Amino acid sequence: MAVFRVTLPATIDHLGDFIQALSRWLEQEGMAKEKISRVQLAVEEALVNVIRYAYQGVAGEVELRGEVTDDDRLTIKILDSGIPFNVCAVPKPDVNCGIRERKVGGLGIYLIRKMVDELAYRREGDKNVLTMFISRNLGNISGPRQDARAGA
Amino acid sequence: MEIDVTKEGNTVIISLTGRMDAVSAPQFDRTLDDLLAQGDRRLIINFETLEYISSAGLQSILALAKRLETVDGSVVLCNLSGPVKEVFDISGFSCIFNIFENLEDAKSSG
Repeated sequence: MAVFRVTLPATIDHLGDFIQALSRWLEQEGMAKEKISRVQLAVEEALVNVIRYAYQGVAGEVELRGEVTDDDRLTIKILDSGIPFNVCAVPKPDVNCGIRERKVGGLGIYLIRKMVDELAYRREGDKNVLTMFISRNLGNISGPRQDARAGA
Repeated sequence: MEIDVTKEGNTVIISLTGRMDAVSAPQFDRTLDDLLAQGDRRLIINFETLEYISSAGLQSILALAKRLETVDGSVVLCNLSGPVKEVFDISGFSCIFNIFENLEDAKSSG
């Protein structure tokens, strides 16, 4: 079982450090480039949420953990000690409307959901723990049109 | 991210290279602030060499489109592929923007 762990201050200038370190590790683990790009997106969106909102202007840290298990699944955990925030409770934005109606923002968590197979949130003590489960194979991702057909 | 700006007549072509993420998107916003302040109203964004985009990049592009609507301007996009196209499709942005296969088609669109 391969494990990755990095803790850095929750500031936007560390976003690149997290993403680069994670990507190097995933490359070593033999993950396909396209899949790494999707993991990068999910992790960026989750980290940016923590960086922007968790600590309310007070300095804090964020921890990024990765684990490839024997069933060939990647598990990513993002931990912070900021205010409680359940990413899973955020409603889906309207992704179908035009430029005028479309709100700027609110897409980050939607993109996380689309990039991962399963998303889980727990408040553990004073920490937010966001867990993403990601299969290693590529697979297709549905857009809003396909979602509408599937009744999602 | 690298931002290359070229002008052809009254059209501005903005070519993006690298990664448009939460760190680099504000750089795009500043460049576009300058162009709009100079009076440029017809824009083409060329994504040919952009490898990655996150919601921060999408937000910048949507905010630009909204601003252009208020000043009777327009923005069209071209050369979307790979992860960038995937993110546009998933977010529904592919339906709300004018997107062309290549730069030549984008240029002849207006």
